[in-house]
Amino acid sequence: MTTQLPPGMHLETVDDKIMTLNVGPQHPGSGHMRLIIKVDGDYIVSCDPDPGYVHRGEEKMAEYRNYIQNIPHLERPVIHDSSNILYPYCLGVEELLGIEVPERAKYIRVIAAELNRCVYILYWLAIYGIFLGHSTMFMWPAGDRELFIDLLEAMSGARVTHAYLVPGGVRNDLPSNFEERCLRQVAYFEKRLKEYEDIFYQNPLLKARTEGSGILSRTDAIRLGTTGSVLRASGVDFDVRKKEPYDVYENLDFQTVVMKEGDSYARSRIPYLEMFESCRIIKDALKKMPKSGSVRTKLKPNPKGGNDEVYRRVESGRGAIGYYIVSNNRPEPYRVKISVGSFRNLICMPYLLKGEKLGNMPAVYWGLNYWPVEADR
Amino acid sequence: MSNVIGIIRALNSGVKHLAVKRFTLRYPEQKLKFVGDGFQFNPETGVGIAGLRGRHILFHENCTGCQLCSVACEGIAEAISMVKVAETWKHNKKAIMPQIDYGKCVFCGLCVDACPFYALYMTNDYELSSFSKSALIYTPAQLAIKPNISQDVEIKISDRGASHG
Repeated sequence: MTTQLPPGMHLETVDDKIMTLNVGPQHPGSGHMRLIIKVDGDYIVSCDPDPGYVHRGEEKMAEYRNYIQNIPHLERPVIHDSSNILYPYCLGVEELLGIEVPERAKYIRVIAAELNRCVYILYWLAIYGIFLGHSTMFMWPAGDRELFIDLLEAMSGARVTHAYLVPGGVRNDLPSNFEERCLRQVAYFEKRLKEYEDIFYQNPLLKARTEGSGILSRTDAIRLGTTGSVLRASGVDFDVRKKEPYDVYENLDFQTVVMKEGDSYARSRIPYLEMFESCRIIKDALKKMPKSGSVRTKLKPNPKGGNDEVYRRVESGRGAIGYYIVSNNRPEPYRVKISVGSFRNLICMPYLLKGEKLGNMPAVYWGLNYWPVEADR
Repeated sequence: MSNVIGIIRALNSGVKHLAVKRFTLRYPEQKLKFVGDGFQFNPETGVGIAGLRGRHILFHENCTGCQLCSVACEGIAEAISMVKVAETWKHNKKAIMPQIDYGKCVFCGLCVDACPFYALYMTNDYELSSFSKSALIYTPAQLAIKPNISQDVEIKISDRGASHG
């Protein structure tokens, strides 16, 4: 018997050996997205990620607001990494409007971006730990994250959605005792980071679950267009901060962390090692920063961009974030396109999960450094 | 064998923390100290003054009812609406002042950046929860009150670890 189906729809053939599982969109282990997983016994046969449950139309919203009013809503996709997602927007708008940024503001922006990167990575590490069943690794990063949140709060006035970076510099200058406080807390945090090594990364239980699972080769990583920690874990030395330095990153002393293995363990370790580099950048930037001076170039009310387009990108906690902004002589941008790291890393999921055990799914999934809200925009 | 050593090392690093003071801040008994009196803005230089972005404070003697804060909030949260006030000021002919709905406000502080007359700042008061939606709407008279809260706990870092005292 054949049934007439509407065009584009098809009936699913059911195999009594293969079972289909829906992980998400409400399952706390999947984030706000669904993974359609087909399992044969305990082994995953295929995986089909289904994002889009938290699509908020940020790009369309940006077309109806002027360049300053766009700031609060554009940081919503990743509230933990809000400075980094605003960074390319600010760089792009500065180029469109032809604004010069004061030297001190450039350093403050770098410090804000690196503090925010640590906040994001610690939050990610806490989730990664709890979904592998390691509850200490949930408590420790979630607690140590407060150190950076307190610093960002003193700096910008808000704990998560900072709205601190603006086209033309930053909203306000650093408070008076910030430098000393920042150095003290960062030094303490570096000591804490070394304890993570013993309890989590050298833990044989973690190694047994993640080493050799979900291997992404160097050629596949490049072919699939991955970015950020996923790309660097597969042995590709690519970091936007090094390759296309923006603001003052070329003056600062840091290294790109690269690992060759390409498995879940390497992918989980790269962000951890990057936090050491972030601490180095913060300390170096505080040392090299001009001690006084303007931090914000005054804009005209309702600034207009010319008939122009611009593309700028930065390195965020999840990889390269790019903004493509088109303006047409109006106070609002004509088009804003956000290219995010999470969405580009999502494509590896079907390749990595094939042949894995179902119990290892969280290790591979969260190792991708994927943030569903950012991918949906 | 290396697995056994690894597990012992992992356990050991956790056990060491039995002797360390707890890091957690005991809110509401303790409240964290902030920088300054809240986020302020200097319209002459166009640069803000660092501080927590909490509940607003409105200086009635400076507000001219120009609606720039309300215009800035359009398209962000639409939390600010201009309402009639009973008092009369020479510089505020229309006698209108901002009223803020904290059910909508996102605390971005762009209204403070927009105010050219030093009339709207933000304060350290962040405890705004209420039992009804209407109580979240702050009238100009409520916004004029200076908050009085004691926030004095700071993070203490020693060789043995960090704590909130």
